[in-house]
Amino acid sequence: MKLKIGVDIGGLALKNPVMTASGTFGYGEEYSDYLDLNRLGAIIVKGLSLKSREGNPPPRIVETASGMLNAVGLQNVGVRTFIDEKLPWLRSIDSAVVANIFGETIEDYANVAEILNDAEGVDAVEVNISCPNVKRGGIAFGSDPVLAGEVTRVVKDVSHLPVIVKLTPNVTDITEIARATEAAGADALSLINTITGMSVDIEKRVPHLENVTGGLSGPAIKPVALRMVWEVVNAVSIPVIGVGGIMNARDALEFLIVGAKAVQVGTANFINPGIATDIIDDIRKYMLEKGINDINDLIGTLEV
Amino acid sequence: MKPYISVTVFSQRETVKGHFLIVMKVPASFRESLPGQFVMVRMKSCDQPFLSRPFSIYSVYSHGKDTFMEILYKVVGKGTEAFSRLREGDILNILGPLGKGFDIPSKCDKIVLIAGGVGIAPLSFLAERCEKDTDGAEIICYIGAGSLETIVGMDRMNGICSVVEISTDDGSWGHAGTVTELFRRDVELYEDNDSRIYSCGPNPMLGSLNELLKDRPVTCQVSLEERMACGIGACLGCVVKTKSGSLVRVCKEGPVFDINSVEFSEHNG
Repeated sequence: MKLKIGVDIGGLALKNPVMTASGTFGYGEEYSDYLDLNRLGAIIVKGLSLKSREGNPPPRIVETASGMLNAVGLQNVGVRTFIDEKLPWLRSIDSAVVANIFGETIEDYANVAEILNDAEGVDAVEVNISCPNVKRGGIAFGSDPVLAGEVTRVVKDVSHLPVIVKLTPNVTDITEIARATEAAGADALSLINTITGMSVDIEKRVPHLENVTGGLSGPAIKPVALRMVWEVVNAVSIPVIGVGGIMNARDALEFLIVGAKAVQVGTANFINPGIATDIIDDIRKYMLEKGINDINDLIGTLEV
Repeated sequence: MKPYISVTVFSQRETVKGHFLIVMKVPASFRESLPGQFVMVRMKSCDQPFLSRPFSIYSVYSHGKDTFMEILYKVVGKGTEAFSRLREGDILNILGPLGKGFDIPSKCDKIVLIAGGVGIAPLSFLAERCEKDTDGAEIICYIGAGSLETIVGMDRMNGICSVVEISTDDGSWGHAGTVTELFRRDVELYEDNDSRIYSCGPNPMLGSLNELLKDRPVTCQVSLEERMACGIGACLGCVVKTKSGSLVRVCKEGPVFDINSVEFSEHNG
């Protein structure tokens, strides 16, 4: 039986619903020894800013119960260096490439999105709106529906590519932000980004992270992510991509059943660099077992 | 493709207080491991601790048809505590060998190893290789420990090195004080192009060694330790600053660096 596992994410065609999450997969090349990159639905590269960024001082990571906190601080080579030095290699890979972008001002976002228009080999843009807006007292773009809508609209206005907006879970009501970004023209949404947390060294009485707080990821956040995806799927009509603590195909299938059209595998790549293609294989096995010919017949079939 | 592989614990014992030597049966391909390289290790049977832990390779050797890899480690937290309870026959998942190892000279007069605590592990592996591969080298070792009870890895060094000097913080054995102070006494002996210095230990120790060696012509490589999530260059958890201000990943550009190329921060001392 020939299984159909391709999905369409707001104009971005994926050969299967498994993507690798930004910040956990480098620029793709880092993983070329560990899995066949050509088999991935999409590779989402490390978040890109207008200029290169050094990120936060170490320690940047600490393990927590069933997860980890990171305060890497969006270290990246900058969008132009990405295009010149990282993208040529990625063009040889037969998987969709999604450029994750962020900025400190609305103009930054627009500039990065515009530069990527001319970059051959980039198939979509994912907008990280979890960053603080330096021009408005540091409030995160993604925690305010008006700001989130503004960033989305500006990127949509300049970009020729499908625009995915990545939502932060650090909000009171994620559906409010989801609706605002949908109204501003987002082609798809991905959620969740990391949950802000902290961890303390009781011997020295200092935070484990130099940055004090960091983003929690890993299986610890999966139930929260799943709940939020469920809420957002019911609130918007654009495609939703499920992200958060996916460690295996069972986890991925939960998101698909809840209504996500695709998933992103993140922290699990650190634990097992070959996990993303294992998940694709195991999703196929599940479909064969259940007699599901087309993955789209599974998506959003949750009965409540 | 080089995925994590499952290996069997052949033996494990506590060598000195709080320090364990674990021997694993590994595929023959691990014979290509270089001194200074590391492996990522985690439990096979359970998903705690969540992240793999990086360990320098202490030794790799073949016995009959089998290849064995040794890791020497100190119990410092949850992960190492869990590993210390492993027994013969238990299964671990490992990834490696990873990273860039030490440069091994084909010819050299004096090879000087300066170890702080369990930092002896990669240096001991290096000593084994230099004994075989470096023409005419005299190998000298300086070992620093907290006290007599925690001097680790000394026996093996005694078998390879012409001189093994010891320092303890509390003065219970050898020189009372730090290993860098002990080495300072002899530093003039190694100031030429025919000597190589290698070191591994806590960052403050490497920082003081860097201070001592700056402006001297001798080549010194150090192996750094940092927290890592992936070990393959993706998580950016293990970055350190170079003297020129750029960032390098300990897992990928290191863990071995020229002592003059990196900054030694205090945070993980």
